[in-house]
Amino acid sequence: MEDLTSAPQDVRGVDYAANEPGDDALLRQFANGDAAAARVLTDRLAPRSLSVALRFLGNRAEAEDVTQEAMMRLWQMAPDWVPGQAKVSTWLYRVTLNLCVDLRRKKTPDRLADVPEPEDEEASAADRLQDAARKDALQTALSQLPERQRQAVVLRHIEELPNPEIAGIMGISVEAVESLTARGKRSLTAILAGRRDELGYDDD
Amino acid sequence: MNWGMTMTEDKDNLDLLFAQARQDRQELPDDLAVRILTDAESVRLSRLQPDEPKAAPRWARLLTGLGGWQGMGGLVAASMAGVWIGFSAPEFLPDPANYIYAEDVSFVVADLSLDTSFLEDAE
Repeated sequence: MEDLTSAPQDVRGVDYAANEPGDDALLRQFANGDAAAARVLTDRLAPRSLSVALRFLGNRAEAEDVTQEAMMRLWQMAPDWVPGQAKVSTWLYRVTLNLCVDLRRKKTPDRLADVPEPEDEEASAADRLQDAARKDALQTALSQLPERQRQAVVLRHIEELPNPEIAGIMGISVEAVESLTARGKRSLTAILAGRRDELGYDDD
Repeated sequence: MNWGMTMTEDKDNLDLLFAQARQDRQELPDDLAVRILTDAESVRLSRLQPDEPKAAPRWARLLTGLGGWQGMGGLVAASMAGVWIGFSAPEFLPDPANYIYAEDVSFVVADLSLDTSFLEDAE
């Protein structure tokens, strides 16, 4: 039986509980002048946009700007939204990734990873350093992937979206998504294998 | 070296990295939430305002260009004054009609007098 008590926004790619209005309905309410609808939509959707942008860009300030711009476009298109054609989250992911690509094409070199520190107070300093190194490793490896592979891998393995939704976001077939994620994972594995010693996995 | 084992370990490591990345998914920072909601509010308020400038017909835009109803009133008053002055010029203004017709009138009179004297001579 579906657990209706869990916070729906914590689960990516899963529909909301039946007793809550969907994104479509909230967007219509916002277009009709309901300010509260904007708050719920922001809570639900903006963290996803931020997460993808952060993983794609590897820079927090840029990722936050992209998320703000993507949400701005959401507010502006609200009156024109046709319910049922696509998921609002799919639309937002697509806009977010397009903004990220535009930003990267304007600025060539990737900045170094800017992934937040772990918040676990119990972790020892050594553990924290190792954690940071691993996250940097993933971010650095991701930044070396070709653009489309990076998008597909982030959406599949970090956002945990189903392949058909990724296909909708990227405007490609499900088979193409599978191919991109497979190649992306192979590339990441190869990149990471080059620096195994730095990551300290053999100690775990 | 056992390459098969190494590849499996690397894939496991990658899966571990993905799992950690999923755990680290970010909450929305408060200041970003405020920025986003400020945008939403400005869009919402701009939509609540009647968008007359966009939908205004041509005559309304022309009226606005001429200074609104007040400007239009002034324009009408000035036009009417012009029409009235045309009909009945005040004495302190020269009447252009006099300039145009003055010579013709005197010429006609002179002509008539000439005609009369001529007739008298003939008699």
